[in-house]
Amino acid sequence: MVRKINFKIIVAFILLTPFSVFAQDDSLMNLLNEEVKPERQEVEYTFKSTRVINAQSIERMHQGQLDFRINHRFGQLNLGSYELWGLDQAVMNFCLEYGITNWLQVGIRRGNVDKLYDGSMKLSLIRQSKGGIHNMPVAISFFSDFSLATIKDSARYHKDTRDRFAYTNQFIIARKFTENFSLEILPTYVHRNLAAFDEKNDILALGVGGRYKLTRRLGLSFEYFYANNSKKTTTKYFNPVSLGFDLETGGHVFQLFLTNSLNMVENRVIAETQGDIMKNGIYFGFNISRVFGGKKNKE
Amino acid sequence: MKKVIVISGLVFLACSSLFAQKYICKDGNVHLLSKTAMLTIDGKNNKASSILDSKTGDLVVQLQVRGFKFPEALLEEHFNENYMQSGTFPKADFKGKIANIATVNFAKDGEYPIDIVGKLTIHGETRDIKKKGKLVIKGGKVEGTSAMNISLANYKVKIEESYKDRIDDNVALTMDLKYELYQAK
Repeated sequence: MVRKINFKIIVAFILLTPFSVFAQDDSLMNLLNEEVKPERQEVEYTFKSTRVINAQSIERMHQGQLDFRINHRFGQLNLGSYELWGLDQAVMNFCLEYGITNWLQVGIRRGNVDKLYDGSMKLSLIRQSKGGIHNMPVAISFFSDFSLATIKDSARYHKDTRDRFAYTNQFIIARKFTENFSLEILPTYVHRNLAAFDEKNDILALGVGGRYKLTRRLGLSFEYFYANNSKKTTTKYFNPVSLGFDLETGGHVFQLFLTNSLNMVENRVIAETQGDIMKNGIYFGFNISRVFGGKKNKE
Repeated sequence: MKKVIVISGLVFLACSSLFAQKYICKDGNVHLLSKTAMLTIDGKNNKASSILDSKTGDLVVQLQVRGFKFPEALLEEHFNENYMQSGTFPKADFKGKIANIATVNFAKDGEYPIDIVGKLTIHGETRDIKKKGKLVIKGGKVEGTSAMNISLANYKVKIEESYKDRIDDNVALTMDLKYELYQAK
């Protein structure tokens, strides 16, 4: 009888002792994970800057942040050494974009073509999230812009000020699929007060833009818009397509790319891109973005 | 009869180890500071969580790297995107123990210096560490503090040559964890 009990004690010890030894590290961490559930987190940094290339990205300026951008598009690449492969000819545009709140960004731009001014706003409606119980799979923003051509009388614009306005309204639906890969689609409505006799004033378009991060500071980006403008117009228009790199250097983001559009304002990029990539209508361009200040977190 | 005593004794022992006094902290503060002449990086995380077993001295601490908040949005972006890669390595944690837990009397108010020994994981890299800290017991409440310096290179957080005059390899971490008694649900 005594022997039997001893045996049972030994077995019990063998069974219990390792349990209390292993009970340490991981079980304590498991208990902590059980007690403190991870909170839902906003998915951020879907794109490197507020533009994919020409298209608006889902990114915005946070409260108090100011983005100063300089955008250039050069001449056709095949112009040869006399025109320095297009670099002698430049159209440019610069803009300021500011975050009034964390969900509202406003901007102004000025471009040298038609002395175009424009004002824009971007509303961050829904943000992608992860880690919580209920997560949003996508982020949605609404972008709206109007442009005004202030050039004195030209072949296109005459006295009537109303003719000089054009508008873009656009939803941006984006998802960061992995740390490196993000994609967005842009259902867009463009209205031009003035269009040529055989062109439409209203144009619907669907854009797609993406980014693939090659290294932590270098990304590959692309975008394309399908626009439903007529293919039988006197002036030929093409769907805008661009491919390029985002390079981040601490304070600045450089975007270097090839595009078939010399335009930089949405309504013109989408409705009035004239570069035919099959006929050397390819241009080199860059955007430089410098972001200043901004308090993201109110103390 | 003897058998019953032995078994109940064992059950008691097993239970007592299950119901060892544990302390939990759900909103601890961790502060990181890196200072150079050109740039001050000053981040605060107030969602660090921890459990301390007062009997065995076992200690676990963890936090979400994304939870660090910086005064400037761009700084926060670069911290997450370029250096900590918090999308790939969302958590930082510590698993180990207070080596001299026996010298801490949880029933008596006072300040107790502690030796923290264990494994610290940052940026997906785990290193053995041995640091000093302090436990303050006051009216049944436990507050743990520790200040330590860590080397970024040691955790494979890469600082490019051209940024080395702005970002110091040495980062000061200060922890302040206020524990309360853990009640099992």
